[in-house]
Amino acid sequence: MNVSLKQKLQLYKKQLHQAQETENQNRQEKSERMDSDVYEREIRQAARDMSAEIRHFDNESVFVHTEKLELETRIGPYSAGDLFETVSDWQKGSQVHPLSAYGLDADELLFFDTETTGLASGTGQMIFLIGLAHVTSGGVEMKQYFLPGPGHEAAFFNAFLSDSHSLKNLVTFNGKAFDWPRVRTRHQFVRDQVPRLPAFGHFDLLHASRRLWKNRLESVRLQTVEREILGLGREEDVPGKMAPFLYFQFLKQPNAQLVKGIIEHNREDVLSLIALYIHLSNKVLGKVSSDEEERYEIARWYLQIGDDERALPLFRRLAVRDSITGIRSRAQMAALYKREGHYEHALTMLQSVIREDKSPNDHIYIEAAKLMEHQFKKYESAISYTESALEYLRKKLKESADEAAGRKESAYIKRINRLDEKWEREKERSRNRE
Amino acid sequence: MKVRQSMADLLAMLKKDPNIVHWHTIPGREAASVSFPEKLDWRLRRALVERGIESLYVHQAEAFQTVLEGKNLVLVTPTASGKTLCYNLPVLQTVLSDPSSRALYLFPTKALAQDQKNEMEELINEIGVPLKSYTYDGDTAGDIRQKIRRAGQIVMTNPDMLHSSILPHHTKWVSLFENLKYIVIDELHTYRGVFGSHVANVIRRLERICSYYGSHPQFICTSATIANPRAHAEALTGRKMFLIDRNGAPSVRKHFLFYNPPVVNKQLNVREDEMLAVKNLAARFLKNGIQTIVFARSRLKVELLVSHLQEINSGREERAKICAYRGGYLPLERRRIEKGLRNGEIMGVVSTNALELGVDIGQLQVCIMTGYPGNMASVWQQAGRAGRRKEDAVIIMVASSNPLDQYMAGNPDYFFSRKPEEVRINPDNLMILIDHVKCSAYELPFKKGDTFGGQQADELCEFLSDEDVLHYQAGKWYWMNDAFPANEISLRSAVQDSFAIVDITDRGHVKVIGEMDRFGAMTMLYEDAIYIHQGRQYHVDELDLKERKAYIRRVNVNYYTDSDLAVQLDVLETDDHGLLPLAHSEKGYGDVSVRALPTVFKKIRFETLENIGWGRIHLPELEMHTNAAWISFSTDWLDRFGKDVFQGALVGLSHLLRHAAPLYVMCDQADLSVVPKIKAPHNELPTVFVYDKYPGGIGLSKKLYEAMPELLERAKEMAEGCGCESGCPSCIGFVNEGKAAKQALLHLLRER
Repeated sequence: MNVSLKQKLQLYKKQLHQAQETENQNRQEKSERMDSDVYEREIRQAARDMSAEIRHFDNESVFVHTEKLELETRIGPYSAGDLFETVSDWQKGSQVHPLSAYGLDADELLFFDTETTGLASGTGQMIFLIGLAHVTSGGVEMKQYFLPGPGHEAAFFNAFLSDSHSLKNLVTFNGKAFDWPRVRTRHQFVRDQVPRLPAFGHFDLLHASRRLWKNRLESVRLQTVEREILGLGREEDVPGKMAPFLYFQFLKQPNAQLVKGIIEHNREDVLSLIALYIHLSNKVLGKVSSDEEERYEIARWYLQIGDDERALPLFRRLAVRDSITGIRSRAQMAALYKREGHYEHALTMLQSVIREDKSPNDHIYIEAAKLMEHQFKKYESAISYTESALEYLRKKLKESADEAAGRKESAYIKRINRLDEKWEREKERSRNRE
Repeated sequence: MKVRQSMADLLAMLKKDPNIVHWHTIPGREAASVSFPEKLDWRLRRALVERGIESLYVHQAEAFQTVLEGKNLVLVTPTASGKTLCYNLPVLQTVLSDPSSRALYLFPTKALAQDQKNEMEELINEIGVPLKSYTYDGDTAGDIRQKIRRAGQIVMTNPDMLHSSILPHHTKWVSLFENLKYIVIDELHTYRGVFGSHVANVIRRLERICSYYGSHPQFICTSATIANPRAHAEALTGRKMFLIDRNGAPSVRKHFLFYNPPVVNKQLNVREDEMLAVKNLAARFLKNGIQTIVFARSRLKVELLVSHLQEINSGREERAKICAYRGGYLPLERRRIEKGLRNGEIMGVVSTNALELGVDIGQLQVCIMTGYPGNMASVWQQAGRAGRRKEDAVIIMVASSNPLDQYMAGNPDYFFSRKPEEVRINPDNLMILIDHVKCSAYELPFKKGDTFGGQQADELCEFLSDEDVLHYQAGKWYWMNDAFPANEISLRSAVQDSFAIVDITDRGHVKVIGEMDRFGAMTMLYEDAIYIHQGRQYHVDELDLKERKAYIRRVNVNYYTDSDLAVQLDVLETDDHGLLPLAHSEKGYGDVSVRALPTVFKKIRFETLENIGWGRIHLPELEMHTNAAWISFSTDWLDRFGKDVFQGALVGLSHLLRHAAPLYVMCDQADLSVVPKIKAPHNELPTVFVYDKYPGGIGLSKKLYEAMPELLERAKEMAEGCGCESGCPSCIGFVNEGKAAKQALLHLLRER
């Protein structure tokens, strides 16, 4: 290519939607960077300013910042050492609950968070910071791995993977969908140079938080949960979305001040995860008081993992309330009773929901209809319940037509027809008997 | 009782029609077959026999052989010649013998991939081995995507999906890229102009990724008849190609007719509107239950024809038997039409060139073209839609009054001996190139000295690093930006920046009925325009540029609207110039800036085409930098003929060039513009500009610059061959001082 290419590039610049950058400044920075001694010196200085050691690997390097915090370190309402009690509580609790640390020691939990060069999920976005903490009897051991430039990913992943022997018990916030897939993507590029990615297990606190608090929080982000639930306030936090921009600046000019805020942000995220894990566990284990809505969600969670024994007493205590949660709990109990063959109890619960709920939905009616049809052979009541369900559905259909509701409608009509036939046969049989 | 006329009756009638100016019969052809190749896997052989195939056409066998020899292949295949077996056989053979092998199929549209998937599935079922072939597109459900990435042996997708979804996530597709043996590119000829230039770059990115994972796939391409299949395939893939253009498939006898509508106004040499002629011809076949496809060149014409043709039937159901098919419809609507054509529920279809592609609608008996479709490849693709079973097929090309159509109607020998056009792409268009270097750097960092499309990428990478998109470190450029570049780059300018067309007739049920690109929106969906969709008229209430939505409302009026553009043109740099064989003239080529502003629109009455009113268009200017070729004349001419006459001559020349240009480059009408300027800003001379309507240019005006002497010769023949005195649509159009202008132009083009 020739000189005129450069001219053409300038010509098309406007159309390339690229803002005219302050080019002189760029040039200057670049020429400085060319001087590799200066650059090396600056990099070493940056590492010192971050209190990080530089680890070398295959001509590459990574900054590793290690820190030990006391067990008494306060994180919102908890101290880091409270994790021991929580883990020990789990030994008496559910073994299969997604948050359960059953069979684990507290120091096996790895609290994990990353910062990336962008939110997109493609191959062009990098992880430039991994924060990792675990709690031992001697204190909180915290490590942060910082990528000094894009060509150092082998060193970066090598350090992180060699240090952490097992990744079976990562605790993250949205790690399942965000952090871990990115780790896998980037690891793919250096897989020939660094250890394999070990199998990983996961406690994703986003899912837990969403379950318990999605109705009360405007958005279930870690910072919101910290502030609203744990009462944690951050001073001078650098918002996560600034991270890519600040990191790009650092690449041009390796000055630790530029990324100091992000590193602190990442550190606080990791510490918050410890407190959040303790708090969520305490809620699920019943160690701290929860309001009705939280208790209902906790019970429902147990129900979904098939732990009826833990779900039922929770629902039972809620079911005596007159609140909406109380009514919803009764509906849940009805399902539980039915599953265990206590049809009378199930029916009582459903009837109570139908009586007290201002507008019970079609599902409740249908459940009642099913019991009447299959368990009690009372076709007439089954028909009447189904008709109520149909009425409810039609009202809803009038407001907005949707396909699923349409399908339900025809299923309900079929049900009524079938019940009608059964009822007729029943009547005929009893006439014959007479 | 009305008696249905047979095809023979109708042909006899046409024989007597004085407007049929030429009747060309293409004899049928027997199949040229050979027995199955020795090497063909017995399971494949058995599957073919099960489907009633006992032998292969010669081109199929040759393709099989060539691919297994490891060569990259381009096949020229007319409509319905069994081309899919040409690539499916070698691919399946390889996958059967080594199940870890992978093949990637690229189709220009989702619909085509879907069709091919179904066909492939049938074949696989008969083979009886669980081979995994999948389509991967925007509709693919999330839960099976992972399975496709891991285990899909044959993945069928489109270039857009490859560009925005597969390549930027290549780490999820390791097993595909490590084992990729074949890349099949179907409908190669559709990858032309801007789109083709983009796709060539997507393939460059694909190649970089393959070599990163250590694979070196073979290409198998198929194309409609074009002049340069091998060169085009090589430009698109960057590989040396082996060409197969022998076709062994049989065909029925075809009658190819030219219909030239009668002159209705002797003075003005105005012919009957070709649309009217098409309508009458199509109606004759449709009324007699003969499935007919009508091709028209613009969306507007498609819509007008549908609404006219639907009038021959009464009753809702009957009307539904004739429908339109064009871009801008939603996929569901298109699927319904394709199915209706196959099962015979739909009798007639009016289409833009969307149906030129191998969409599986079976074949119809009659094909009518509204005017010359613009290039020979299209002629034969469209004609290929006619020819079902053993019956004779009829193809009628109805000439419009434009100069090129009239030239073809007057020179049928020229038409039938014409070679198909060249397909041009310019993968090194700077705008396009830089977009894909960005995407490619996102996918894999560039090392110093790395090439992209055969040339070093260093300078481009440096530019991008100055732009803060890449970061240079230790000999490599890394993507260092929080954006996802493929999302901002659309391969098809039509989709780029697209506007939703929202029907608000029923305020309670507002719905999106289609979409359109920005340029289209500004010229068709300005406020107070009458927009026609599926034969229905809509009034444009509002064009929201920010939200990119046009709000339209059903109306019933007796006019349509047509917009005028004011164009400002500046030459930025002259790359080349030279003399022409004409007196006092020169040609030039270079970079230009074009600023277009829609100014006014006219309201035109349907029946009489008279202008019944106008309105202003209030829209911002569109600006682009592109390439242009131009012809400048000495001001001596101006003095000799006077300003008015000479201006008329220039406008007339533009009219001719606009129509003659497609003889030299294969492009869509929308890809080129011709603008006359009585005083061009750069040299102050009377000048006619021809420019590529895409930022940065795509090589069309370059080719026209080279072919300028021939182009002008053709323009002269068109003007000379026309019987009118003072200009008509078939030569220079209606211009001021028409008689003198035409004479002046002839002087201009004759004087050496």
